[in-house]
Amino acid sequence: MATRYGIQLAVHLISSHFGDLVAKVCECLLRKGTLTLRDIIRFTELSAQQVKNCLLVLIQHNCVQAFSTVEDGGLSESRIITQYMVIFNNIIHRMRFSKFIMIVSQEFDKECEELLEGLLQHGRLTLAQLLDRANTDKPEGKIPVVHLGGDRSRIHVRVLKSGFHRASCGLLCLSGNSFLMIGLSLTIKFVQFVECCPAQDALRESFNRLVNAHYVERCPASEPLLELKTDEAPSRRGAKSAKIARVVETTEQRALKAAAPMEAKRFLVVTNTGSDIHGKNTVDMPSNEITGEKQMKDEYMQLDGALGGAVCEKEVVWRANFEEFVLRLKQKVCVASIRAQYDDGAGVVLSAMLEATRGTERKIRGETSGPLSLNAIFEEVMKTEEGRTMTLEHVRSSLNQIGCKLDTAGPDQSYSIDLKNIIDTAQRDEVELIVLKRYGKEAFRMFRLLSRTRCLAETNKISDTALVDKKEAAKILYKLWQDDNVHMVRPTATSTSDKDLCLWTVNKDTLWKHVLDQMYHGALNLSLRTLYELEQEREILQLPREKRIGELGKRYERLRRVRILMESSLMKLDDSIMLFNDF
Amino acid sequence: MAFRGRGRGRGFGRGRGFTFAKEEPFIIFPSGCSTQSVSEMLSSVLMFMLASGSMKNDITLPDIKNVEEDKALVIWNSRLQSFWKSSLYYLEETTSTKNESADIERYSDRVKPKTRSRRDPLSDILKLTPDQFPFELIKGSKIGQHRKVRWNPQSDAQKLDVTFDKFQKRDEKEGMGQGEDEDEEENEEIEEAEEEFSDDGDYNQNVDFDDDEDDFNMDNEIDRDEEAIY
Repeated sequence: MATRYGIQLAVHLISSHFGDLVAKVCECLLRKGTLTLRDIIRFTELSAQQVKNCLLVLIQHNCVQAFSTVEDGGLSESRIITQYMVIFNNIIHRMRFSKFIMIVSQEFDKECEELLEGLLQHGRLTLAQLLDRANTDKPEGKIPVVHLGGDRSRIHVRVLKSGFHRASCGLLCLSGNSFLMIGLSLTIKFVQFVECCPAQDALRESFNRLVNAHYVERCPASEPLLELKTDEAPSRRGAKSAKIARVVETTEQRALKAAAPMEAKRFLVVTNTGSDIHGKNTVDMPSNEITGEKQMKDEYMQLDGALGGAVCEKEVVWRANFEEFVLRLKQKVCVASIRAQYDDGAGVVLSAMLEATRGTERKIRGETSGPLSLNAIFEEVMKTEEGRTMTLEHVRSSLNQIGCKLDTAGPDQSYSIDLKNIIDTAQRDEVELIVLKRYGKEAFRMFRLLSRTRCLAETNKISDTALVDKKEAAKILYKLWQDDNVHMVRPTATSTSDKDLCLWTVNKDTLWKHVLDQMYHGALNLSLRTLYELEQEREILQLPREKRIGELGKRYERLRRVRILMESSLMKLDDSIMLFNDF
Repeated sequence: MAFRGRGRGRGFGRGRGFTFAKEEPFIIFPSGCSTQSVSEMLSSVLMFMLASGSMKNDITLPDIKNVEEDKALVIWNSRLQSFWKSSLYYLEETTSTKNESADIERYSDRVKPKTRSRRDPLSDILKLTPDQFPFELIKGSKIGQHRKVRWNPQSDAQKLDVTFDKFQKRDEKEGMGQGEDEDEEENEEIEEAEEEFSDDGDYNQNVDFDDDEDDFNMDNEIDRDEEAIY
C-alpha cells in the first residue's frame, strides 16, 4: 500500500533509475491517483512529448497500466478516454531485482540467469530480442581460433560461461588474451574470432524452462476497456443480517484484472512451426465508439503490417512474473521461520510440501500448501539430502508439530498447512522485537500482552500481569501511545468510574501500516545516504586502478566496504518490508 | 545613485537591531534524525559506525560485524543500476546539455574526455504498436525502424573512454616535459618583468619561442644582468 514514505521511496527509485523527468510523472500519478494524459501534462507542467516518453518508459517497465473507460458525454456522443494508473508494488520490486536473479541462479544455469537479467533490465522484450541480446557482444557467439606459432595447427577454442576457454585439444585457457598452456610450450601468434552459428536452441530451451517455472509471463493488454459499473442500489437496512463481506473492487483493481492475459495463455510459448495461432487481435471495441478513432487505429495496424511481416505476426512480448518470485521468497521465509521455531526436520518437511505443490494453481499456493497425502510428502522428503534419514513417523510428528490440518475426507489422509498463520506469527515477532529494542524490556512485556489479547485492558491490570510497577507502566504506555504503537480509549466519565481510567489495546491494522511506513522511511534514508557517500568520493571512483595507491587506495577500500555494508543492510531491511507488504 | 539601493538594504538590518532568522549551520545528516532512530529501532537492519567523525553518536549503533554481507546481491544491484543510468530509458532534459553539478569545475574535469554517450531513441527497443502501448502515446511515432540495437551502451561508452584515455596519456607524456619547463621559466620571467618597465612582457614569457629577429628580447637580457647588481 502506498504510504507517505512509500511514495517518497518509489519516487527516489524511479529517479535514480530513469531520471528526474520520469520521476516527476510518476510522483504526479502516485500523489494524485489515476489520471488522463491531459491532466498529467497539466499537473507536471512538462511538454506533451516529454510526458508521453515518460509514460512509455513507465509502461515498458511495468510501473504504469493504461486502461480506457467510456465517458458519458451527456448530450454529445460518449467517448473513450484513456487513463493511467501507477502500480506501486512493481516500483518497489525494483529494489529487489537482485533477489529475483539470485532465485533463478540457484535453480537454473547461467543462461537462464542472463535471460532474466535482460528482462529485468528492459522491462519487456520479445523472444527475438532476447536471443539477439544474448548473441551480440558476447564471445560465446563467436569462436576464437587460436593460431599457434611453430606448429601451424589451428585449435578451436570454445568460450565457456565460467570465463575459461576450453580448447579442443585440452589446453586450459584464461579469459581475455592470456592463455595458460598445460603441457605444451607453444606460443600464440594471434587469435582470430570467427562468426559461428549462435546456440539459439540452447537459449530457447532455457527460455522455455523459465516460462514453465512461471518466472516469465506474457505482458498484459495495453489498453483494456472497462465497463463503467452502475451504482448498486442502496442496500436495505435488513441486509445487515446477510453479513456477507463484500469486497468492493476499485477501478484500478478491475483494470489490472481486465488487462491480465487469460490463465491458459499466460505461460504459453508458441513454437514457430509455420502455423499461426490466431489469438485475440485487438482490444474488444464497443459498438458505440466513435468511428474516427477506430478507423485511425485500423489504418495504423495496416501500416504496421505493410511495413514488416515480422511486426504483423504479433510477436509476443514477455516480462518477468513478479508474483512468482514473491511467492518463492514467501515460502523461503515460512520455511526459515518454522526451522527457527521448531527444528530442522520440521523445516525440511515444510519445504518438501511446498516443493511438491509447485504445479498447482497459484491462488491456492499463496495461502496454503497442499493438500497432500502423507505418502506424497514422504516421497518428496526423501528426495532432499537432509530428509533422507527421516522415517515416516518422524515426518508425521513434524507435520503435527507445525500445525498442519489433517483432512480425512478423501480416501487418503491429506495434510495442508496455512501459510498465513506462519506469516502472521513472523510479523508479530518482528514488531515485538522492535518494541523491545526501542522501549526496553518492560514495554516489551506489556506490548506482548496487549498484542496477544484482543480486548481492551486497563492500566492496572496490565501492570499486574506484566509485573511492572504501576507508575512505570503508565509512563511507558503513554510513550507507546505517543508514537502510535498502542491505541488508547478513555471511557466517558460515569458516576463511579475513576477519572484516570484508561483502556489500552493494540490496533493491529493501523500499527502494521505505521511500522511499514517507518520501514520505507528507513530504506529511503539508507539509499540516500549510500548515494551521498558515493557522490562524496566520486573522484576516487573515476580513478583507474593503477592510480589507487596509498591514501587514495585506502579511501577506495573504505568506500567499497561502506557500499557493501549499506546495500546489504538495505537488502535485509527489504526482507522485512516484504514481510509486511507482500506476503 | 548606485548607492541608494544598497544603503537602504544595509541600513534596514542595522537600524532595527534584529535579524530575520537565526543562522544555523546546515548539517546534511544530523545525529538526531530519522536515519539513526529508525535504523536503530529496526531489528533486521544493523547500521554501522562510520569512520567519519561528523556524526555525533548519541544513539549506540550495533556492531558492524553483525551485518551479513551479501556481495552477490550488491554486485547485481550495481550492475543493474549502472545499466539503467546509461540506457535509453534514462530520459534527460534536452534543454541543457551541460553537466549541471553544483560542484566547482576542476582542472581534472577539463582534461576528462567530454564524450557523452548519446542515448538511442526509445523506438529502438520499444515495440510501438497499439498492442503494447496506448494509441494516444504512439500516434505520431514512426514504426518499422529496424536499427541495430545497442544492448550494452555501457560497454560501448567504456570502450570509447578507454581508447580516449590511451590517446590522452600518450599526449600527456609528450607534453609533460615541455609544460614543466615553461612554467618555471614563466615565473622567473614574470618576476623580472615586474622589476623593470618593459613593453615586451609577452615576448619575454616565451623563451622557447626562437625568434632571431626579435631584437627587444636580446636587449632586455643584457639590461637585466646590469640591473641586478644594485
